Amino acid sequence: MAIKLAIQNLSKLYPTGEGVQNIDFHVEEGELVTLLGPSGCGKTTVLRSVGGFIDPTGGAIKVSDQDVHHLPPEKRPSAMVFQSYNLWPHMTVFDNLAFSLKLKKVKKIEIQQRVEEVLTLVHLQGMEKKYPSELSGGQQQRIALARALLLEPEVLLLDEPFSALDAKLRHELREELRDIQSKRNLTMLFVTHDQEEALSISDKIVVMNNGHIEQIAPPQDIYNTPASLFVAQFIGRMNFIKGQAVNNTIQIGDITLTMDDLYTGEVTLGVRPEDIHVADKSSVRIEARVDKMMMLGHFAEITLHTLIGSLKMFVDRQQLEQFELNSTISIKLVNFIVFKENGEVLSNRRMNVNEMV
Amino acid sequence: MRKQWKSALLGLGLVMPSFLILLVLVMYPVWSSIKTSFTGADDQFTFEHYQYIFTEPLILNNIRHTLIVTVLSCLLVLIIAYSIAIYLRFSQSTVARWINKTYLIPMFIPGVIAVYGFINFYRDNGWVARIIGEEYMPAIIYNVKGLLMINIWFNIPFTTMLLISALQSIPNSIIEGAKDAGANQWRLFWHFILPLSYRTMLVALTFLFMGIVGSFTAPFLIDRNAPQMLGVSMQQHFSVFNEIEQSSSLAVFMFLLCSIVGCFYIYSNIKESKKELK
Ligand SMILES: Nc1ncnc2c1ncn2[C@@H]1O[C@H](COP(=O)(O)OP(=O)(O)OP(=O)(O)O)[C@@H](O)[C@H]1O
Ligand SMILES: [Mg+2]
Repeated sequence: MAIKLAIQNLSKLYPTGEGVQNIDFHVEEGELVTLLGPSGCGKTTVLRSVGGFIDPTGGAIKVSDQDVHHLPPEKRPSAMVFQSYNLWPHMTVFDNLAFSLKLKKVKKIEIQQRVEEVLTLVHLQGMEKKYPSELSGGQQQRIALARALLLEPEVLLLDEPFSALDAKLRHELREELRDIQSKRNLTMLFVTHDQEEALSISDKIVVMNNGHIEQIAPPQDIYNTPASLFVAQFIGRMNFIKGQAVNNTIQIGDITLTMDDLYTGEVTLGVRPEDIHVADKSSVRIEARVDKMMMLGHFAEITLHTLIGSLKMFVDRQQLEQFELNSTISIKLVNFIVFKENGEVLSNRRMNVNEMV
Repeated sequence: MRKQWKSALLGLGLVMPSFLILLVLVMYPVWSSIKTSFTGADDQFTFEHYQYIFTEPLILNNIRHTLIVTVLSCLLVLIIAYSIAIYLRFSQSTVARWINKTYLIPMFIPGVIAVYGFINFYRDNGWVARIIGEEYMPAIIYNVKGLLMINIWFNIPFTTMLLISALQSIPNSIIEGAKDAGANQWRLFWHFILPLSYRTMLVALTFLFMGIVGSFTAPFLIDRNAPQMLGVSMQQHFSVFNEIEQSSSLAVFMFLLCSIVGCFYIYSNIKESKKELK
């Protein structure tokens, strides 16, 4: 696939010293890429640089291989949907949608047609005459999306467009957006700080932290093989266990693990709650006491007290009955990641407890 | 039903004190002025004072002068203040930051002091004249030019403040969305900034008009002797010529003028809020 948007070594330093550096990634045609990261990590800065609302300090931004650096926002082949206050309050829905078409001197009949068409696409037929203040938040964001679509942008930029909406509506709109995106083969760069949102709709996630990129990968890989301690912490849930590595062994309390890599120093073991299983008799086990059990919908979270620290474990709803508060069980770790002291990944592997000793 | 009555009475009780004060301090003088303006020497009802102010060339001239000065001042202040407000809203330059810090200063200088300072500065042999040479000094003091200038000085801070707050309440995303949709600077102004701020402009215009049409200090000290602004003319009829009835009818006329502007303002407000409620 052709690369639609290329961001090359982009940096933006604010006078305060904050900003982003070494931002380097691309979005292919028809792809939905998400910028994900905690508040203040620089997602908006990157997005607005692409839209032309921020003048970057360095690097290049190319849309369809054309450098857009010198273009003002009104001439860039991108369109932006903001978190809120997208719509122009003094214009009706129709005028909001028709504005850009009128500027392009599109014929009246065609404007009418295209507005109707895009309203159908976002499920808001017949709303032409309403003012933005007469629409709900979700409807407003749909219209905002429709307006951006009418610009026929080569790249659609969305800055947390659903974050002001309630959870249910957010889910709904997220799905609709994904539908429209694939139906029209749109190229999108989507900003969010909501990992669930990112994991559910993206083709590719760019995880940012503190002004730089931590990892670029499909949702699956981000979840299964996080590239750093930060990503592991930020995406999904993970237990962290401190340990000591000597050559190819890791010592955690009185448990010894082996790994393929050679390393000596402090390490952190990362284990996802779903990668902690109940151990059968034959395997080498870790003794654990059930401290807390909590239903979380279709699964349950169990807090375990062990010699290597407190661990969270996920089990299916149906299995919950097998556990009893304050009882002692045996567990094994089926998959873990070893991080070095600086947060880099040392070893990322699936393990069987049998291998552990 | 009884509960409703109770709360209605409570509401009435709460507004009563201020209403009574209004009645005593404002309504009564207004009423007595209106009465005086229609009362002849023989204590009979008469139109003669109005006949006088609308036929006497001197006063007609004053009215015309007042309207011209007021309208011109309003327009000038509005144009300058709006330009400053737009500049301050959209520029992050050092100059903008400086203007932002200083534009309110005129508000904190008492009127009379400002006027005397102004006179010292711009009169025929004042500071400016000394610098540029007395023969090049245009007539500013005791001239309409001076009056316009001082009106601008007095009214820019508040008007600018009003307009800036209106412009600042336009969210950035609205403006950026407009740019994104392809609007250039001019279209941005015409289709977005102006429509989203013109209501505050009307408010500012109302305040400006009312303040300037009835102003006294500046016209008294700076303007020519004839024609006069109505405020000065009124004072002269009242205390110099002792023609209380004439000055009352002038006051009523001015009151009507301001009422028209006020009604216009209220009307446009109602229209706008109806649109929002719809
Ligand atoms: N105009 C500015 N001037 C100075 N610093 C800024 C400016 N805009 C953003 N920053 C700083 O740059 C950093 C990145 O900001 P940015 O808005 O890109 O974060 P973000 O990832 O979008 O956060 P959020 O999720 O809260 O929207 C922040 O530390 C912020 O304080
Ligand atoms: Mg942001």
